[in-house]
Amino acid sequence: MSSSLWGTAFAVAAKDLKIEWRTKTAFASSLVFAVLVLAIFYFSRDSTVVSELDIAPAAIWVTFTFAAMLGLNRAFLLEQENRAIDGLLLSPVPRTGIFVGKILGNLAFVAVVELVSLPLFSLFFNVPILHVLPSLLGVAAMATIAFVTVGTLLSAMVVRTRFAELMLPILLLPFLVPPIIGAVQITAGILAGRPMSEFAGWLKLLGAFDIAFVTACLLLFEATVEE
Amino acid sequence: MTKRDVALQLLRRGWVLTLGALAGLVIVYTRVAFFTPIESTQGPAQKIFYVHVSSAWASLGAFAVTGILSLLYLWRRDRKLDTVAEASAEVGLMFGVIMLTTGPIWGKVVWGTWWDWDAKLTSTLFLFLLFIGYTVLRGAVADLDTRARFSAVIGVLSLVLVPFIFLSVHMFRTLHPKPPVLRAGGPSMPAAMLITLLFSVFVFSVLYVGFVTLRYALAVLKELRAEEAAHGIS
Amino acid sequence: MGYPDNAVYAVAGYIIASAVILAYSVSLFLRIRNER
Repeated sequence: MSSSLWGTAFAVAAKDLKIEWRTKTAFASSLVFAVLVLAIFYFSRDSTVVSELDIAPAAIWVTFTFAAMLGLNRAFLLEQENRAIDGLLLSPVPRTGIFVGKILGNLAFVAVVELVSLPLFSLFFNVPILHVLPSLLGVAAMATIAFVTVGTLLSAMVVRTRFAELMLPILLLPFLVPPIIGAVQITAGILAGRPMSEFAGWLKLLGAFDIAFVTACLLLFEATVEE
Repeated sequence: MTKRDVALQLLRRGWVLTLGALAGLVIVYTRVAFFTPIESTQGPAQKIFYVHVSSAWASLGAFAVTGILSLLYLWRRDRKLDTVAEASAEVGLMFGVIMLTTGPIWGKVVWGTWWDWDAKLTSTLFLFLLFIGYTVLRGAVADLDTRARFSAVIGVLSLVLVPFIFLSVHMFRTLHPKPPVLRAGGPSMPAAMLITLLFSVFVFSVLYVGFVTLRYALAVLKELRAEEAAHGIS
Repeated sequence: MGYPDNAVYAVAGYIIASAVILAYSVSLFLRIRNER
């Protein structure tokens, strides 16, 4: 049974990523957006007062968050066309597998955008990141899991409503607050060279958030797609 | 009893509770204005505290009720639970408007600034936004069962979320402390103030129950109208 | 006196609270009357 779940999940994720790979539209727009955000943050500061390091965490996380939202939107719009999602739901595969597959696909998409944005950020802001890359990636992963999971669940819901593209940001925004506060705090500390032990509290919060919401979303997914 | 009888009985009870609470509100205002001492450091403006705390209690309580009923709905699938949840959410938003306007006014007096990203204000703001989302979502779904299901999912997720919002902002703030919020009368409140506060909270609670009853009755009447239209009875 | 002369804030707060509560009561009344 569990192999069927993961099997389904990987199949769904692979399908989504293949489709995205053919057109690359969402990926391209995310990257353009990332460059735009980084540029705006850079040019908006008064360089005599605000150092690059001060504004760096905000710049990174605005970029990552909006990349995630673009990815999420694309993911379910894909299924909304021709009601492809109904086909998925009718097939004899565990529904949780479909959900996990969607999450994995979205995670992969956002991960690629983040991995490309990080070097761009380091370049534009003149902030070296190689020496702290593992911790930076770790924090990014924890926060991204949080909002991709909740975002995927909410997309599954709103795709069946009117004004779907509008509903997703409205509903998702409050759920982004705790992971982003945590991620920004930890990122700021990492870039300033502080030891990870200083962020034990924030890491625990992020971890608890991930566990709580992955569990809640897995349990609630059925309720969003039953007919 | 027919559905219509139930609705009418609820209406009667709702109006009794609501009008009674409104009368109680007048008594509260009188007590606040003339029979409650003025706080020594904040001045008369501190008296906004009574209506702010009461509306916060009503609003947050209303949202908690919606959250719990959402959980129950997913378990029991009784649409009445969803209807009460909807009524509670609407009333919660109304009290929330009072909470979020009186709060900053009091903040201006105590902190000198209209807004402050402290744990309580931030959590209540985002909870308010969540329930705006809840209401917008309900407006965007036509089928009653789907609407109940989707609303319940948001309701449950909100229950899980709020403690995290509070915790994260609280952790942020203990790193960046602000001047402590002045309490109503110092560490312990004089009895006269406490009585006024408790009475005010009580009146607001009755008002909440009255409004939710009325709002629920309204929903039942709307369903009746839809059912009668479907059966061709005018 | 000793305390600041800022009663206007409290008055504003209570007016807002009353206005919102009254407006909601009226809205309920009208919506219910519409359905009867």
